[in-house]
Amino acid sequence: MKIICSKENLLDGINIVQKAVSTKTTLPILEGILIEADERIKMTGNDLEIGIECYVDADIKRPGSIVLNSKMFGDIVRRLPDSEVLIEVKENDSVIIECENSLFEIKGISSEGFPSLPSIEKEEGIRISKKILKDMIKQTIFAVSIDENRPILTGSLFEYKSGKLTIVSIDGYRLAMRCFFSENTAEGIDRSLVIPGKTLNEIAKIIQPVDEDIYIYAAGNQILFDMGNCIMTSRLLEGEYLNYMGIIPSEHETKITVNTKDLLACFERASLVITNEERRYPVKLDISDDLVIITANTEAGNVREEIRAEMEGKKLDISFNHRYFIEALRVIDNEMVDIFFTTNIGPCTIKPMQGNDFAYLILPIRK
Amino acid sequence: MKGSMRRVVFLIDMNAFFITCEMSVNPELKGHPAAVAGDPKNRSGIILAANYDARAFGVKTTMLVHEALSICPGLILVPPTRGLYERKSNEFMQILSRYTPVIQKNSIDEAWLDLTGCENLFGEPVQIAQMIMKEIMEELDLWCSIGISENKFLSKMASEMKKPLGITELWTHDVKTKLWPLGVREMYGIGKQTEKRLNEVGIITIGDLASCNDKLLGDIFGKYGHELKLLANGIDPSPVDPAPKGETRSISRSTTLSRDITDMEEARTVLLSLAEEVGEDARRNDFRGRTVSIVIRFSDFKTITRQKTIVPSYLTKDIYRTGAELLMDNWDCRRPIRLLGIGIANIDEDMPEQISIFDVNSELPDEVKKEEKLEKAMDEIRSRFGSDKLKRAKLLDGSNKSK
Repeated sequence: MKIICSKENLLDGINIVQKAVSTKTTLPILEGILIEADERIKMTGNDLEIGIECYVDADIKRPGSIVLNSKMFGDIVRRLPDSEVLIEVKENDSVIIECENSLFEIKGISSEGFPSLPSIEKEEGIRISKKILKDMIKQTIFAVSIDENRPILTGSLFEYKSGKLTIVSIDGYRLAMRCFFSENTAEGIDRSLVIPGKTLNEIAKIIQPVDEDIYIYAAGNQILFDMGNCIMTSRLLEGEYLNYMGIIPSEHETKITVNTKDLLACFERASLVITNEERRYPVKLDISDDLVIITANTEAGNVREEIRAEMEGKKLDISFNHRYFIEALRVIDNEMVDIFFTTNIGPCTIKPMQGNDFAYLILPIRK
Repeated sequence: MKGSMRRVVFLIDMNAFFITCEMSVNPELKGHPAAVAGDPKNRSGIILAANYDARAFGVKTTMLVHEALSICPGLILVPPTRGLYERKSNEFMQILSRYTPVIQKNSIDEAWLDLTGCENLFGEPVQIAQMIMKEIMEELDLWCSIGISENKFLSKMASEMKKPLGITELWTHDVKTKLWPLGVREMYGIGKQTEKRLNEVGIITIGDLASCNDKLLGDIFGKYGHELKLLANGIDPSPVDPAPKGETRSISRSTTLSRDITDMEEARTVLLSLAEEVGEDARRNDFRGRTVSIVIRFSDFKTITRQKTIVPSYLTKDIYRTGAELLMDNWDCRRPIRLLGIGIANIDEDMPEQISIFDVNSELPDEVKKEEKLEKAMDEIRSRFGSDKLKRAKLLDGSNKSK
């Protein structure tokens, strides 16, 4: 194999496929990037959970393939001058990397042992705008559970139903749900998948917030994201996801309508005295007479915030982990939101004033 | 009610507990000298418990096996049956709980009962004691001695006075005649060392201790000296404390391995069997740990402990998983391990409780709840049929099992 490629293109490819390269494995080949040269070069990373393939334009002098240690190859290319890079495989899988006045000769690994990505037929896919998908993931990913004792909750539900895409994350203490409906920017057949949180994190990093489309295919317990010059595959989580519709209460005792940014700012300020152990120090909400009083008392100090809110229903005293509110409010773009409370030991739900594009449900803390 | 009611405290002591448990499941041992020995085949093993037929020959607890055989050649030796004593212990606690909820388990084979005010319900203290002894004999085929008094110390002293199958009353007005003539070593809580130091200053009997100069005692033993003197006078205000829920701060188990190990699978198997015991204990006490810790003692006796915070749990699965993770992160399989331990702790009970979605939606399918049901069902089976009856498949493989 002998290729010439710009450092910039090479590095773009490396940065993407590195997200699927294993960092702790007993198999050295899994710590490598597979490089295959044909008409273009194709780079592949595969940690057996997630696999990424990325095409990069290059001048192919001689086709072939090799596996290079991802960390060393990445570190070398990153520090090369912005110029053309020559990569040539010599005898015994030894690899020359040359750029201007730099010349490396590093050990490669024969590509034969590199595990291939699962093959997933590209049919009956879901099409959606990259920007919208990226936003939806960011708006729900923080509520994915990290508790391995409930494996299904370490992923997000990805539900596609007659043109409507819904993503739901539940970590046991809160729920984040986002919907998107558009006949123009999304299409596909009805599906319900549970995608690991790690996969969604990586895909959100890779996709650019642009008005191009991404295609999503699923077969068996695998999913494939097709981004044009780059594809990503991942294992899906098996098992039944929780019935999220059943969790969101349909009735409420207290309702407030409040300015999103102002409420967020109150929580953020209140959090300043909670220096650690957020579970020990909840933020208290005192809701009465169109006024919400937010207080926090810790060993480090006290804070009291007041915010005007339009209120319906009963007065309420309720406590929360401030982080759950902050993370939800930060990803809501709507100027105003409705917040529905049940009891001081029951769920509360943040919803838009109109429509049902999102719901953020939070369970309180019993004091 | 006039004045303060007289307290009535019982100490129930199971006689020759381990061996009588063995006799209850193996009646052929009855009427013959028999003993439980740590390792009957090993001549330098020790006697853990001898029955009264064996004691007649002079066989005593902690005696070496070959010594015991030399004074009692017909002695039948049995190895300890894992799980049997815990099960029997739970069963006799069950019987005691018919009389009062105020029970303090002092060890596997003895417990205090506070029966203050129960006379109207069950009769005079001695009658109650007779009922308890009878029920334990008839239902469990076990023997006990019962000490009756108005506090924990005196009831314990009373229970020692007549064994086996004794019922002894020792009230405060009996202290002078029944307690004071005894040597200080007879006193609950006084060991060889304390006896020696007391004897050195001329305190030989409990009576000597009861009338001893406060300053002298204070100089030798500090605050403890004062407590000893109160006890010698039959005064013990400590309550029968049933260790209320939430009192538990930690539960742990450890084991010294029969040989040093360097194999991860083997170490994990040991950890699983310990986690199983911790989990069972935790579930019985409804105690969820916020941290899981492991202890590793290497062959050179260097000991490390490592811990990790978890979502509060009492499930064997969670305890084991976290422990195994800690083990893998902290051991390279090179340094031989001689002791392994695992435990859960909950340093902070006052932590406000974050409510979970599963608390408010009981109908949700939940793997954690499923696991909880499963493990509780396993506990139930074990407590009925003995802990050896049900094991995780991982713990069955004889070659991996470390005793």
